This record gives sequence, C-alpha cells and structure tokens, in this order.
Amino acid sequence: MRELIGAAVVAGSVVAPLPLRAELNVPIAVRVVSFLQPPLSGVMPAAIVVAPGNAASMADAAAIERSLGGGAAAGKATLRTKRVPVTALDSLSGYRVAFVTAGTRDDQGAIAAAAARGSVVTITSDDACVQAARCVVGIGSGARVQITVNRAAARAANARFGSAFLMLVKEI
Amino acid sequence: MAALLLCRTLALGAVLAPLAAAVPASAQAVDYSALEAMVGEPVTTSVIGKPQRASEVAASVTIITAEQIARSPARDVPGLLKGYAGVDVNRWTAGQSDVAVRGGVQTYNARLLVLVDGRQVYLDHYGLTDWNLLGVQLEEIQQIELVRGPAAALFGFNAASGVVNIITKRGGDAASAHVTAAAGDHGVSRLAGTASLPLGGTVRARLSAGRLREDERRLRDGLLAPTPIVDVSADQVAGELSARFGASEATLGGSHASNEQIEYLPSQLLSNQRYRSSNVRAGLTHDTAWGGASLNGYVNWLNADYGIEGSDGVNRVSAPIDNRLVAVKAAALYRLDTDDTLRIGGEYRNSRMRGPAQFAETIAYDVGSFDAMLDLHPIERVGVSAAARVDRLWLGQSGAIVQPALDDPAAFDRAFTRLSFNAALVVQTGANGRLRLNGGRGYQLPSLVSFGFRLPLAAPTPVPIVVTGSPRLRPVAVWSGELGYTHALGATRLEATAFYTRTDDAIASPGDGLGPNLELFLTPSPVLAARFAAVGDYATYGTEWQASGRVAALDWRVNYTWTQTDGDLTGTALPVPYALAPRATTPRHKANVALGYDGGRWYASGLARYTAATRQFAFSTTQQLLFYRVDDAVALDARGGFRLTPALELFVAGENLSLAAGATGSPIPADRRVRGGVRVTL
Repeated sequence: MRELIGAAVVAGSVVAPLPLRAELNVPIAVRVVSFLQPPLSGVMPAAIVVAPGNAASMADAAAIERSLGGGAAAGKATLRTKRVPVTALDSLSGYRVAFVTAGTRDDQGAIAAAAARGSVVTITSDDACVQAARCVVGIGSGARVQITVNRAAARAANARFGSAFLMLVKEI
Repeated sequence: MAALLLCRTLALGAVLAPLAAAVPASAQAVDYSALEAMVGEPVTTSVIGKPQRASEVAASVTIITAEQIARSPARDVPGLLKGYAGVDVNRWTAGQSDVAVRGGVQTYNARLLVLVDGRQVYLDHYGLTDWNLLGVQLEEIQQIELVRGPAAALFGFNAASGVVNIITKRGGDAASAHVTAAAGDHGVSRLAGTASLPLGGTVRARLSAGRLREDERRLRDGLLAPTPIVDVSADQVAGELSARFGASEATLGGSHASNEQIEYLPSQLLSNQRYRSSNVRAGLTHDTAWGGASLNGYVNWLNADYGIEGSDGVNRVSAPIDNRLVAVKAAALYRLDTDDTLRIGGEYRNSRMRGPAQFAETIAYDVGSFDAMLDLHPIERVGVSAAARVDRLWLGQSGAIVQPALDDPAAFDRAFTRLSFNAALVVQTGANGRLRLNGGRGYQLPSLVSFGFRLPLAAPTPVPIVVTGSPRLRPVAVWSGELGYTHALGATRLEATAFYTRTDDAIASPGDGLGPNLELFLTPSPVLAARFAAVGDYATYGTEWQASGRVAALDWRVNYTWTQTDGDLTGTALPVPYALAPRATTPRHKANVALGYDGGRWYASGLARYTAATRQFAFSTTQQLLFYRVDDAVALDARGGFRLTPALELFVAGENLSLAAGATGSPIPADRRVRGGVRVTL
C-alpha cells in the first residue's frame, strides 16, 4: 500500500539523497550528544577514530580537534577528544562517544564491533556507515541539517535518545 | 436616546464575544532552544503536538525567535506579530491591541487563543487577550508561535482562527540575569528584569518582573471618551521552579499582573479599565522510549473593573467581574514507528464568572474534552495528519437572580457537544519544495459575558433598558481550508498560501440601533432588553506571499497579504444595530518589508508596513455609533543598538517614524513613539 501511494504521489518528483559532507559538522555532533539519555555529565572523553595514513581521515580528525579545542560542552558534559587509530580499536571501550572520521570505510565493520562491545555511540559524516548499521548517528550538512539515527546500531551501542530528538531526525 | 443609553451600558462592559480554551500540547518538556540549535531552525509543537521543524509543519505557522525579538523595534507581542503575513494588528489605544488572523478585525477578538507555555492567558469572561497582562517579559521569551487557521483539534475552543503560543526560555546550567531599562517620549518608561538560578544539580528557579508606563494617544476631535482618560500602566511579577529527575521534569510556577488602560469595548465605546490577574500552575512531563506523557494544571484568577475613572460619567455605575479558570490536562504522545505518531489527550476545565452585572451571582461552565491526533508518513515524501476533538460543555448559573429575570433560569441549565477537527496533507516536491493542503473546523465559544451579562442602562428612559447576554447563544463555527507551497532556494525561503475561512453565526454586542432589536418584557415593571446576538455569517479569503533570507550579516523578509471579506451581517446603515462589520474593518491589502543587520557590536533593524485604508467603529460625542475612516498607511519602525561589551548594550528604537495616522488601524490616530535604553546581561 505504501508503495502504491508513494508511486502515485512522488511521480515526477526528484528523489535524491541529501549529500553528506566529508568533514563532520562538529557543533551539531556535540549537540546530538546532549540528547543522550540518561544525560552525560562531567568531563567525558570522546574518541576520534582515525585511519593513520589516510589523508581524508587525518584531515577530518584535525578539523574535529580544531572545532572542539580544549573541550566542548554537550549539555552538562564536557567532551575532551583523543585520537583512536583503527589499529587499536580495543581502546574504544573507555569512551561513551566516538567521532568516526571519513576515510575509515574499510574499517567500519571493526569499528562497529568495538563500539558495540564498549557501548560507544558513534557519530559520523559518512551516511553509508549509518545506512549499514555500523554507525549510530550520521550528520549531513549543507543548507539543511539532516541527522540520521540507525536504530539497530543504537541498540547495539546501548544508546537511547530523548523522544523529542528522535521526532526531529530521520530514524532508520 | 437609544444611543445614549447604549453608550452607558456598553461603556460598562457590554459587548463581547466568545471564549474559552485549552491547555497546550506538551508544556515545557521540549527544550526548544537546544533543538533549534541542533537542526538550525525553530522547532514547534503547536501544530500536531509533536516536535517539528518550522519548515515541515502542516499548517501556516510563523515563529519569531528570541534573536528576532531582541533586535526588533517592537515593544510587545502584538508589535512583533504585526510585520507578518495573514495577521492584522490593531492598536486601538496605547495599551489595547487586538490580533486577528485572516480577517474578522474587531475589538476584544475572541477567535485567537493565546497561551504562555501552554497556559491560557486569553481571558474567558469576555473572550479577549490583554497583551499587557500576559505575565511574561519579552526578554524571557524563547519564541512566539502563531498558527494561522483553526487549531481547535489540538487546543480546543477559541483556537477558531488561530493560536499564539508563547514559549519562555529554560534556564541554563549557570546563573544568569538580564535587565532592560528604557524611556522615551509620550511618557514611555519600561523596566524589566529576568533571572535564572540553578539550585543544585536538578532544580532551577526563574524569576521575572516588569513595569510599564505610557501616555495615551491624543484622541481626534469628535470622539466620545471618558474624562479623565487613564494612561497605560502595567506591572508583572512571575516565578517558576523546575526540577529534572532522570527522564521526568516537574514545574511549579505562578505570576501576578495588573494593568490599567483605556479600551474600546466590543460595543466600541471607550472605557477605562483596571485588570488584576494571578495564576498558579504545575506540570509534570515524562519522556519514555515510546514517546512522552504530560500532566498539567493551572488556576487563573482575574479581577476586572470596567468603567473606572470617569468611564461611568455622572451615573457612577461600574461593572466589576471576577473570573476564575481551573484547567487540568493530560496528554500522551506515542511513536508508532520511526515516523508515525499518535497523540491522545483529555482535559477538564471550569470557568466561573461572578459579579453584580449578570443574570445571577455566578455564571459558569464546565468543559470535558477528549482529543486524538494521528500523524502518518506512508512514504518518505508524504505526510498525512488528522486530528479530532470532542468538547462537551455544561452551562449553569447559581446564586441570587437579578430581578426582573429576563430569562428562564432553566435556560442556563444547558449542555452541548462540539466536534472540532483538523486534517492536512503535505507532499515534498523535489528536493526543496513542499506542497500543503490543510483545513479544519474550530469553535469560538460565546463568552461568559455574552451568556449572562446583565446591566441596566443608567440614563432615565420611559421604559428601562437592560443590556443582557443570552444563554441560548451557540458556539461560532469557523471553517477553514488552505493550499500552500514553500520552496527553498539556498538560504532563501519562498512561501505562497491561498486560504478560505467561513464564520457561521458570528456573535456581536448591540450597537446603538437598539430600536428594532429590543425585546419588551411585560413584567410588573416593564423593561426592554438589548441582547448579544448571533448576527450572521461571513467569509474571508485571500492569499499570502512571503519570502525571507539571509546574506552574510543581513537578513530580510517581505510579505504581502490580500484579504477579501464577504458576508451577510446585519449591516452598517445608521443606526448601526451591531458593532461588527469585518468587511469594513479588515484591510484588503497589507505588505511588510523587514531588514536586519548584525555586525557584532552594531546591529540595526527596520520594518516598513503598508496597510490599506479601513473604516472602524467609534462613538461620536453625539453618542452615535459611526464609522471613521482610517487612512492607508506606510509606517516605519526601526531599532539600532551598540554593544559596549557582551554584557552591556545601548539601543534606540522608534515606532511609526513616518507619522502615518492610520498605522495603528484605530479611529484614534497613531503617533510617533521613540525610546532609548540599556540592556544588561549578568
């Protein structure tokens, strides 16, 4: 039924996914963290998952660090970042939040597994990671902010968001 | 003679309209500021009860943000609303404003429901909103949401033509305070302060207070007015405690406000009024994995003195009214799946009016309501919402009945049921377009005054005349449909809407043409009664065109509204039988251009408004109800500010700098008002 309605209504319209930019929109990512339930508080280490040797990944990591500076407020929590290479994903277990940089697509399976073991909420600009249920939150940008949450990945990471937040994002 | 008698009566409170109302969707559980910062645009719950982006709602909605409020030349909520499409703001006097949505301009407009954080500030007794009695300072407002079109399925009675939902700011995790002081010509002075204080890790307190003084405008020659005319004074104090425990949040608050000003009554007679209002409120919200639930309640007390300070002339007649409103509402919002939601709610309210100028000592009603809203997205680009609400009202009277009784007391033992509904279809067309078809039916309740008011005319006549309400009045049905299209071009947003609204059995107060409408009661002491009455139907239709955008530090907004009014009301030939003529009082054309610039330390904003000519009612010194032409106007408002430090700002602002007499849409010509002040943030 949905397919029929969709075909009838959407005919003629342009269907194109919103592009995700390569670099993570860090201010939005930090705000997303503030909607986690229960709310985080105090100084909270946040991982930046990088692929050493991958220029895009390293550039994304540097941009995240520049944006966060010495720490960024996410509700009552303050995020302090530290790089975690994809070659040392076991150390993710000490974090609650991880920013997954661009250029790590080959390692996203391992990242997802490590995140699930450590209950880490992964946030990325790579929509494919979210669509594949390997990242919890995807943040697109451009003129219109688009946030995607993967329910399966969130469940695996033991992550829950406030209902108001979920009603404003695209949940898959 | 009839005119004179009517004047006396109406001066004391007469005319009026419908009323009543509702509790909002989900009080303060939603952190609007945080959500807006995340999605990059304002978020609202005023359309279907769940959080939505402003650009995605299935209705015509205007949201004025805290940033826009801070830079606006306006000094009150009606002043902020006047620059948007589909809205008529008539500042009848310096203190009295009415906001009408898509036509139907009249004093004491009862068709617009106004809420502050979901609490009704619309006054039930007369069905009006006193914008100087809101109990909230501009500095503590997070956003002002205006829904154009009936929203009764969510908010209940009196959201007949629209809703204004004022959302206040949540306190932050750090203590903060803001103080604004301003003074200007025409005796304008305003002092306002707000403070937010964290009390431990989970409890926050918020306090606010304000004081406003302003001289009345100069009346044109030939208008009937009391002597002396009181100037505007308004004082308010409010406080709130909120506590968050895990996924639950509880609030407890209250406020007190007083206001004195001259107003045009629904009869169009000028009268000095004094209002005092208080409220207490409590709310509890709980967030769950499936959605959320809320329970809210409040009590509003109003003491209104009509006809103070000379309004009653030599006859020393006044009409004090006490109105108490008790409301309790529960609602639950369920996420059926990732996109679809169901909202259900129930509400009970009791509104009671007491005073000497009514059929019996107490006129009251109880309303029980149930509502449900379904929001579905069968495919990604299509949204469908449908909502319905059933309200059951029980009217009653008690206490001593004023003799001679002009109605059978049993006529007040009455109950009726009304079904309100809204429905909408939204289709995303392409990457940036959105087509919307929506409509609904809402009801405007007859006010307590129009049900049970009773005031003898003071002037001697061969047969005494009494202006009286009618317990047989029916709710006014308002039907609405609209088709809208929005398109985003980068940072530019375009919107076009065509609307149609029909009002059935509009209620009006007697004008000065009492003769044909008087009812003779052959009691031992015969009396004549002039009643509030349903005077006919009318329809408004038109188009709204809007565009807005931002280029670097410059933001801009333009809009144009065309409104046509047709109807079969009772007419405007002299003597005017009822003071209701929306076709004459609603401007056909309106256009606004707003510009804003914020360069960091400097900011400036300006608003140019064009309003077509109208005719408005007023009593002449010969005590006839007449039409007065209000010329078309181009009014210029502006504000400029300089931030000496992030915590200290100096500003100067002016309204109607072009000195357009018709800028306020009132028979009393507009003047130019300029003020300067300082804003301090601690």
